[in-house]
Amino acid sequence: MKVSRRRLLTAVGLAALAGCTSRANPGTGGESATTPASSAEATTITGETVPTAEETLPLPMNAADLEAHAVSGGPSKDGIPSIDNPSFVAAGDVDFLNPTDPVFGVALNGDIKAYPQKILVHHEIVNDRLGDRPVAVTYCPLTGTVQGFERGETTFGVSGRLINNNLIMYDRATEAWWPQMLATAIPGPWNSAPGTTSLREFGLVWTPWERWRSLHPDTQVLSTATGFAKNYGRDPYGSYAPPRGYYANDATLFEPLAEDDRFSRKRVFMGARTADGAVAFDKSTLLAEQTMTGELGTTPVVAVADQRLDTGYIYLNPEERTVTSDGRTVSVGESTYAPDDLPLTSVHTFDAMWVAWYGYYPETNVYA
Amino acid sequence: MRENTVVGRLKTAVSRTLAAAVVVRRRRDAMGVAVGTAAGYLVVYLYALGHLAPGIAGYDVTIVSGAFSKFFQPELGPFSFTPVARVVVGPVTYLFSLNTVLGLGVAALVGLNLGVTYLAWRQPAACGIGSSASGFLASVPAVLSGTACCGPVLLIALGIQASGIVVTAFQFLFPVAVVLLLGSLLLVGRQITPAGH
Repeated sequence: MKVSRRRLLTAVGLAALAGCTSRANPGTGGESATTPASSAEATTITGETVPTAEETLPLPMNAADLEAHAVSGGPSKDGIPSIDNPSFVAAGDVDFLNPTDPVFGVALNGDIKAYPQKILVHHEIVNDRLGDRPVAVTYCPLTGTVQGFERGETTFGVSGRLINNNLIMYDRATEAWWPQMLATAIPGPWNSAPGTTSLREFGLVWTPWERWRSLHPDTQVLSTATGFAKNYGRDPYGSYAPPRGYYANDATLFEPLAEDDRFSRKRVFMGARTADGAVAFDKSTLLAEQTMTGELGTTPVVAVADQRLDTGYIYLNPEERTVTSDGRTVSVGESTYAPDDLPLTSVHTFDAMWVAWYGYYPETNVYA
Repeated sequence: MRENTVVGRLKTAVSRTLAAAVVVRRRRDAMGVAVGTAAGYLVVYLYALGHLAPGIAGYDVTIVSGAFSKFFQPELGPFSFTPVARVVVGPVTYLFSLNTVLGLGVAALVGLNLGVTYLAWRQPAACGIGSSASGFLASVPAVLSGTACCGPVLLIALGIQASGIVVTAFQFLFPVAVVLLLGSLLLVGRQITPAGH
């Protein structure tokens, strides 16, 4: 029996996270559905129906080795049940959210929706539709990552396994494994040769309920009438508002794939990855400084904060144009824009705990 | 010969334990200890599972569709089962699942352990009573049975890093706990002489 570490913890702070996106603009309801990396025509694997991106995201090791790092998190396949028939209520009818409770917001294809963290922590996956597009909204409590994927006509479920403490999803059409953060198929017990393709992604914003409601008063909110008997007032891992438990301490359930002690494990970074590399910006620093610059691979990028939603976005900036911001209005050259609507190529961005981001992307550029 | 002796001792222990259980049921004070302990254990067990905890306020009863077929469906881990009904009474939310039934069984064993221990403590020394502490052994397996159902979550709460082996080991805790509870019950039950009350 190997217990490599034991940490009794006392809680201290952590953060709210923020998802985010590309032109699939969560803040203002952009209409584009997918990220630059996945905006090409959908392809399929093994003749099935999972829409995949033209560009395959990089894996930290080959797929078979990744599979070998999968561990049981305890629950069996679908032991954590996805929500497959979600229902929604209007913002004015929501009586189960406190103003500071995190929600995962998205405005896409004409739909504006918020998925409360306190519901998703019990289900991890919601198979839903945004407009006419079938999607899966996915959340991994152990890595603090919320990511959206196109799902075609199939649905995603929770495999019960983890890699790098991160949710491994499976699709019910091919039963391939899809580690959430990697968004890329790897072998698993139900499909040993799924091929290496990546899912088409869209972003969600991790934001306090009061901010989302303020910006989108007409939002729909995932209802607690999920068809399951769950206690949505209780987060088994702790609490984000105020920060407590797993979200606030330095413990992880399993050893991460790689470790780096420059930052505390649960510190929240906003990361982006493409075939060219990975980049991560410290979220609290970004929110304080409004803009930060760095490189994704060798391409200059700029990150801008969005104070309206307490989040940020990353854009490619190969010409290194000067970008300044007050958190609400961003200047690029002589013109001003909303933080989520710059005239630059946005890169799919999402929040993640440092331990999880570094574990999967140890070659990442990082700015804090 | 030796086996006969062991079997004989076991028979005596079982018969004394059964007799002690009958006495526990008849004596109001011993019954109070047993029922009080069992009820307390059940509450703690359900709380540890998250099946009896503060929730979203209001008053509501929800029964999931296909509740009967889902009743035996595993959920978060070994001996953890899907709740099929939710009862919200003000700030408290109760989830009904097979775990309530399992918890009742273990709670009964824990209560009986403590009830019989109470009898042993109350009996005159002349009746041949030994250590009165042995019944408290029940607290150890009782804790084990609770952790069996929510192992990974417990590790998270305590900040303990796990391995696959540790997670797998949790599935054995519940049956081990039941066996230990039965063992400790016999251990203390055999010390009670039927004539001693």
